[in-house]
Amino acid sequence: MRFLAPLVNVAIFLALAPLFEGVLRKLTAKIQSRQGPPLHQPYLDLLKLLGKERLDSAGTWPFRFAPLLAFAAILAVAAVIPFGGRANILAGRMDVILVIYLLTLGGASVLFGALAGRNAFGLIGASREMVTMIMVEPILAMTLILGAVKLGSLSLAAAVPSAAGASYGISNALMLLVYLLALQAFVARQPFDIAEAEVELLEGPFIEYSGGNYALFKYAMMLKQMFYAWLFVSVFLPFLRTGVYPLDLLIQLLAMFVVFLLIGLVGSTNPRMRIDQAVRYYAVLIAAALAAVGLGVWGH
Amino acid sequence: MSTNRIISSLRAEFGEAVRGSSSPAAGRLLVDLDRSRLREAARFLINRGGRYQVGVGADERDRTQTFGLIHFFAFDRERFSIGLRTAAPASDPTFDSITPDIPSAGWTEREFRDLLGMRFPGHPKPKKLITADDWPDGIYPLRKDVPYNLVPPSTADVAYQLDEAPPGTTIVPVGPFHATLHEPAHFAVYVDGETIKHCDYRGFMAHRGIEKLCQTQVSYNEVPFIAERICGICGSVHSVAYCQAVEMAAGLSISRRAEFIRVVCLELERLHSHLLLIGVAGHLIGFDTVFMHAWRIREQVMWLSEKMTGNRKTYGMVVIGGVRRDITPEMKDEIFAVLKNLEAEIASFHKAVAGDSSIHGRTKGVGKVPTEEVVLWSLLGPVARGRGVDIDARRDFPYAAYDEIAFDVPVTTDGDVWGTIVVRLLELFESIKIIRQALDKMPSGPVLTEYGEALPAFRTGWSIVEAPRGESFHYVLTGEENRPERWRVRAPTYTNLQGIPRMLRDNQFADFPIILGSIDPCFSCTDRVAVVDRRSGRKRVWTKSEMDRLSRSRS
Repeated sequence: MRFLAPLVNVAIFLALAPLFEGVLRKLTAKIQSRQGPPLHQPYLDLLKLLGKERLDSAGTWPFRFAPLLAFAAILAVAAVIPFGGRANILAGRMDVILVIYLLTLGGASVLFGALAGRNAFGLIGASREMVTMIMVEPILAMTLILGAVKLGSLSLAAAVPSAAGASYGISNALMLLVYLLALQAFVARQPFDIAEAEVELLEGPFIEYSGGNYALFKYAMMLKQMFYAWLFVSVFLPFLRTGVYPLDLLIQLLAMFVVFLLIGLVGSTNPRMRIDQAVRYYAVLIAAALAAVGLGVWGH
Repeated sequence: MSTNRIISSLRAEFGEAVRGSSSPAAGRLLVDLDRSRLREAARFLINRGGRYQVGVGADERDRTQTFGLIHFFAFDRERFSIGLRTAAPASDPTFDSITPDIPSAGWTEREFRDLLGMRFPGHPKPKKLITADDWPDGIYPLRKDVPYNLVPPSTADVAYQLDEAPPGTTIVPVGPFHATLHEPAHFAVYVDGETIKHCDYRGFMAHRGIEKLCQTQVSYNEVPFIAERICGICGSVHSVAYCQAVEMAAGLSISRRAEFIRVVCLELERLHSHLLLIGVAGHLIGFDTVFMHAWRIREQVMWLSEKMTGNRKTYGMVVIGGVRRDITPEMKDEIFAVLKNLEAEIASFHKAVAGDSSIHGRTKGVGKVPTEEVVLWSLLGPVARGRGVDIDARRDFPYAAYDEIAFDVPVTTDGDVWGTIVVRLLELFESIKIIRQALDKMPSGPVLTEYGEALPAFRTGWSIVEAPRGESFHYVLTGEENRPERWRVRAPTYTNLQGIPRMLRDNQFADFPIILGSIDPCFSCTDRVAVVDRRSGRKRVWTKSEMDRLSRSRS
C-alpha cells in the first residue's frame, strides 16, 4: 500500500486537474454572463488535441522533448507530495528543495521548447516566461523555507503540512497574503498570463506546438495549477485535518475547489498586466516574502 | 476666416495661378489652381488652420485630356471645406508631393500613383500602397481604358520590401493574420527588446474594387447598397454620405422626416459601434469580462435595428432622396423603451470601467500623442477628441437633421488610449440623447422624395459624415450614364492608420494591440479601392514557405 501511495497521488492529479480547469472556465463564463462550456470540456479538449497532427516545425529533439519533460516534472511533483496530509514512501525521503527543483524544471522546459521553436512570438513569450520565473520562484521558495525554518527540517513530510500548524504567527499570516497575491502568477492566469498573452503573442511559448505535444503542455499547466492550489491548502490551512486519510483527502480537494473559485474570480476581473508592471509588482512580493521568513527566523 | 476671405487671400497670394472658384453648396468651395503652385497653396491652407481631408484623383482624359487632382481641406471652426482642384496633361501626370508638409496626404498620393499612374516627385515614401506586389507596372486600374474585371497575368514571387530596420531592432510580424487584427493587414513592428521603435504597414489585402465597379457598372440608386457594405460596422454612414454627396451635387432636397430617420440610423450605429470597440479594447488588454458585457449590452441595439430595418445592422435603409422605411409610432415606443434600458445598463457599465484602476494601468499614458501632432497627422474622431482636438462633423458641418439637435461633443485632454475610451463612453450617452430628440422632433411627411428625370451630369458634391471612428468623406462627380463619373470614399481609418506608427513609437510591444485597437481600425473601409480579385495575388505574395520564414525570422 505504501508503495502505491505515490501512484494514487498521480492518478488523482491526472483525473481531477482537467475538472478544476473546467470549474475555472465555467465560473469565468458565469461572471461574463455566458453559458460557458460543460465542466468536462477540458477532458474533451485534451482528447481532441491527441487526435490532431503533431507538427514538428523545428525538427530538433529539444523541441519534441520539452513537452514530455514539462509533463514528467509536474507528475514527479504530484508523486512526492504528502497529498491528503499523509506523507507517502517518497515524501519521507525527499525535501522541499527537490520540489522547487522539479517545478523549475517544468518552467525551464517551456523555455527549451520555445527557444527550440525559434518563433519570433515564442521568443518574446520565452523571455517573459523567464522573467516571470526569476521573479516568482523566490516567492515559492520562501513559502516552503518558512515551514522549514519553523520546523527546523527541509523534509517534505514534515515541512509542508505542518509548517504553519506548528505555530501560526505573524510570519505565516504575511506569507499567506503574499501567496494569495502571487497565486495568479503561479498558475499563469490573468493578470499574469503575460507570457502567453493571446492577443499579442498568440500563446507565446506554445505557438509552434500542436497535437499531442501541445496536449502535454496543456495537461502540465492544469496539473501545475492544481499543485499550487494544493500547496496553499496544505501550507496555510493545515488545521483542516481529521487524521482519517480518505476524509482528509476529500477536505483538501474541497478546499482546493474554493481556491480555484478564487483564481477564477480574480482572473476574470482583471486585465493582463504588462511585463514591466508585473516585475514591479513581484518585486514588492519578494520583499514581503523575505520579511516573512525573517520574522519566522525571529520566532514570530 | 470666411469663405470669401479665404478666396481673396488665395488670389492675393497666388494671383494668376488661381484660375477660378465656385461653391457647389453652402460651406463648400472649389478653387481651380495651376498645378505649379499646388504645394504652396496646400501649405498656405494648412498654415491658416486648414485640416487636410483627402485627395481625389480622376482620369479625365476623355473630356479634358488631363488627369485631375483635388486636395480637400476642412476649416472646422469656420465650418467650410475647400478643394484645391488642379489638373495635369495626360502626357505628364506629375504633381508636386504635398506629403513633406502634410504627412496625412501620404497615402492619397501613393494611392493615385498605384491606381492612376500619377507621379509625385518629393514624396518621402514612394512605395506601393494598394495594388498587389506582383501587379504589373504600367497598368493603372482606375484609368478608364482598364476594364473593371481585368485580371493581369501573375508574375514571379515578389514580396513587399519592408522599411529598413533601425539599428538594434527585431521585426515582429503582426499579420497578415493575427489575433489582434480582425481583418487581414500586415504590420511589421520593429522592436528593441519590448519597446517599439518603428512600424511599417502593408495593407489593402481585401480590395473589392468598389469605386471602379460603381463608376462603370451600376446605377445611382444601386450604389448605396454597395456603399453600406464598404464597412461591416458603419453601413449607414457610407450610404448616407454617398447619398448626401449625390443630393448635394444634383441639388436635390429631401423630406425632413427622412433626414431625422437618417439621424436615428446613424446614432444607433454609433451606439453599437462604440460598445463593440470598448468590448474589443477590453479583450485586447486581456480583460474579457469587459468584452462580454459590452457585447451583451450591444446586442439589444442589434435587435432593435433588425426590427427597424430588417437587418441586424442598419443596412438597406438609405437611398438617394430619403429612406426606404418609416418609423411607425409603435416602433418609436419600442425605441424609447430600448433606449431607457440601454441608458441604465451603459451607466453602470461606465461606472465599472471608468473606476477600474487596473484598466487605467493598461491604458493611461499609452499611445500618447501631443495635440499638435494630432493636428499634424489630421487624426479624426475619438482618436483626436481623446487627445484634445475638438472636431466633430455633426456639429461643424451639420448634415441630415443635426442642426436641430442639441448635443455635447466630449473632448478629453488625456492624449492617450484611455482618453479615446472615455470619449467613446461619453458619446454613448450623447447618442441616446440625440435619438430621443430626433424621435420627438421628427415632423410627419413622406420618407422618400422621388427624383424625376436624369440627374444633371458633371456636378460636384462632397459630404462629410461623422462615423463612430471619425469623419467619413465621400466625393461624387455626377456622370452621364445614370451613375457617378467619379466616386471617392475616404473612411476615417484611412487617415487614422497613417498615424499609427507615431502612436506606437516608444511604447511597449504589449501595448501594440490596444493602441491599434484604440483607433477602432476598419480595414475593410480602408481597403475599398483596387480592382481585381486579389485571392490569387495574395496566395502568391504570402507563400507558405515565405510565411514560415517571415514568422520565424528574427532580424
